[in-house]
Amino acid sequence: MLFSRRLMLGLAMAGTLAGALAFPALAAGPTEIDLFFPVPVDGKLARDMGTLIKEFNEGHPNIKATAVYTGSYDDTLIKTRAAMKAGKPPAAVIMSANFLLDMQIENELTNLDSLIAADGTTKEQFLGQFFPALQGNAVINRSVYGVPFHNSTPLLYINADQAKEAGLDPNKPPQTWAELTDWAKKLTKREGDKVTRWGIAIPCAYDYCGWMMETLTMTNGGRYYNEEFGGEVYYDTPSMLGALTWWNDLIAKHKVHAPGATPGPAVSTSFISGNAAMMMLSTGSLTYVRDNAKFNYKVAFIPRNVRNAVPIGGASLIIPAGLEADKQKAAWTLIKWMTSPEKSAWWSRATGYFAPNMAAYKTPDMVDFLNKNPDAKTAVEQLDVAKPWFATYKTVPVRKTLEDEVMLVLNGKKQPKEALVAAQKAADETLKPYNAETSLKLP
Amino acid sequence: MSLAELAALPVATSAPPRLHVLRRFSHRFKASLPAYLLLLPSLVFLALFTYGAMGRVFVDALYQRATPKAPLRFVGLDNISAVLADPYFTGAVVNNLVYALGTAIPSIALALLFALALARTNAVSSVLRAALFLPVLIPMVAASALFLFIFLPNVGLLDYYIGRLLPVLPNWLGDPDIALYAIMVITIWKNAGYYMLFFLAGLQAVPEDVMEAAHLDGAGPFQRLLYIILPELKPTFLFVIVIATLNAVTQVDHVFVMTKGGPSNATNLVLFYIYQQAVEHYDIGKASAATLLTLGALMGLTALSFRTMASREGGP
Repeated sequence: MLFSRRLMLGLAMAGTLAGALAFPALAAGPTEIDLFFPVPVDGKLARDMGTLIKEFNEGHPNIKATAVYTGSYDDTLIKTRAAMKAGKPPAAVIMSANFLLDMQIENELTNLDSLIAADGTTKEQFLGQFFPALQGNAVINRSVYGVPFHNSTPLLYINADQAKEAGLDPNKPPQTWAELTDWAKKLTKREGDKVTRWGIAIPCAYDYCGWMMETLTMTNGGRYYNEEFGGEVYYDTPSMLGALTWWNDLIAKHKVHAPGATPGPAVSTSFISGNAAMMMLSTGSLTYVRDNAKFNYKVAFIPRNVRNAVPIGGASLIIPAGLEADKQKAAWTLIKWMTSPEKSAWWSRATGYFAPNMAAYKTPDMVDFLNKNPDAKTAVEQLDVAKPWFATYKTVPVRKTLEDEVMLVLNGKKQPKEALVAAQKAADETLKPYNAETSLKLP
Repeated sequence: MSLAELAALPVATSAPPRLHVLRRFSHRFKASLPAYLLLLPSLVFLALFTYGAMGRVFVDALYQRATPKAPLRFVGLDNISAVLADPYFTGAVVNNLVYALGTAIPSIALALLFALALARTNAVSSVLRAALFLPVLIPMVAASALFLFIFLPNVGLLDYYIGRLLPVLPNWLGDPDIALYAIMVITIWKNAGYYMLFFLAGLQAVPEDVMEAAHLDGAGPFQRLLYIILPELKPTFLFVIVIATLNAVTQVDHVFVMTKGGPSNATNLVLFYIYQQAVEHYDIGKASAATLLTLGALMGLTALSFRTMASREGGP
């Protein structure tokens, strides 16, 4: 009997607490919604997001939005899925743009068409606000599933001081692979066998490596995947073979690129410290380079072999499936506000990503900013030739099959052709269940 | 061991065998009721966060979807055989074995060396002990982030010094032949100081009179180490080996931060494989099956080592 009274008291207390936690909505008030957001690049993004959401809440007394920091892009996907499994999906998520297809296949996304129609606009009008290159990752089967929020493309960064020193004109950056190879040779510094400065650095770590392979393949005239259907990738193709062979040649034949797989932060550090004279990296790193480079630098389009083309990167706003109607509506209000020209432009200046909303570049603040920072303009101009980011069924494992093989090539352990054949085989295996349900499901 | 004591509690109060079974049970239960009630809070949380999750893993391991839109169906042991047939899993197991041996042996050897060198307490050895213990205080994620910059090719701290000696600089984390060893170095650096503590404690238990006797009998320092100190440290060794092996399977923070299992799966360890199946492949069935296999192996190993320890010493 010693414990019974205390036990009862304890149980009663726990019960009250659980009740209070479970039914907060009983108290009438603004619609409370959560926004999950990742911080994929360095900087004070989390604080900027707090500022943005505070401003939203002040302007919308009926909605109380809370910004929840959820780590990297990958972590954000995990946490969103965990929250959905627990039956409490967040109202809106800033999701890596190439996860959308996978989530749509798993029935985890809200189709935004009806929300757009309820506003009295058409899909074409709604999507028309954004750069055309971004639409491919937001529209699946002609329905809108995401709204572009912040985006990037790969850029060529050049150490202008080192270029001048090597007798090259940084105002006429290399435009073709041949010119780039030539530049890289002239910019590489050697002492005997030892390289003291590399001509060029291209990142290769999981995630970045696939993106760079898509970039090189596209500038070589090819495609990475079937943009219309998530069950196919084109690894074992002449255009990708050419791309990988050239990358490998920069290492093995021309010896102007450090051997092995180098992750993104190592590449940017190398460039900043003057150890690599050129690098290919995301526009998302532009602010970092601008703040840290102690030399003059130039940015340019990714050089072509066949055509100018680059993939986009970045994130879109999505609404997870299985949300109550009032939260869905509140989330939609938040999403439209966050992607409006003014907010889009503000976020772009804060982060270095470009603003997906074309009207953002007509706002006076943005015009000023671009005049002061012409390098940010190059990223926007390259959008004319940008195309969607690869997205397939099981995007990450399918991408990883290629990356594992590319890393072997860059380390001199495999020839490009056999690597691509192996990658294609492994990717086809991963895509099999999806094809069994779609392209190979015959009447 | 608190577990052993609790198990002993009902046994100690057991009644004579001729009593009726039911009465005996209720008697026992009554006697240990306060103990169970005291345990209740932690049992509730264990059930919620440990046993519950384990049960869920057990159930999830039995289900699978044939195609993405197909419903989950019972597949029995298919997930387990799929995991065992997966070359990435076997690769991760091999990596993990290399990693376990390559981290346990050097870190235990270093720990013993440190402990022997710093067994006597004075001002200098106290400072050195603190210095060697310092890596234990740094969280693994922070340490990995530090080492990421130490290992940076060309511009990192390591290459800055080694670069003067070598003609071609290794890409520490970008070369599949080297990356796993680079990861192992961090683990050894981080764990040696921790294991040193156990050996320092073990050394205190070496009887002083036996040592003195050996000294008088003319045993040299090496003989004393071989015939007295090491045998006395046996239980410590067993305990540290178990801890080191468990660490080799359960610590993958640095893999997560530094390599994500790459390049080309060279640093993919079993726990990271499970993460990949669950998150990247979104294949809960396979992830649960791999978890079960790992749990089974770990529990078997732990049981075996504690039994060895118990039979040898009657407890650690």
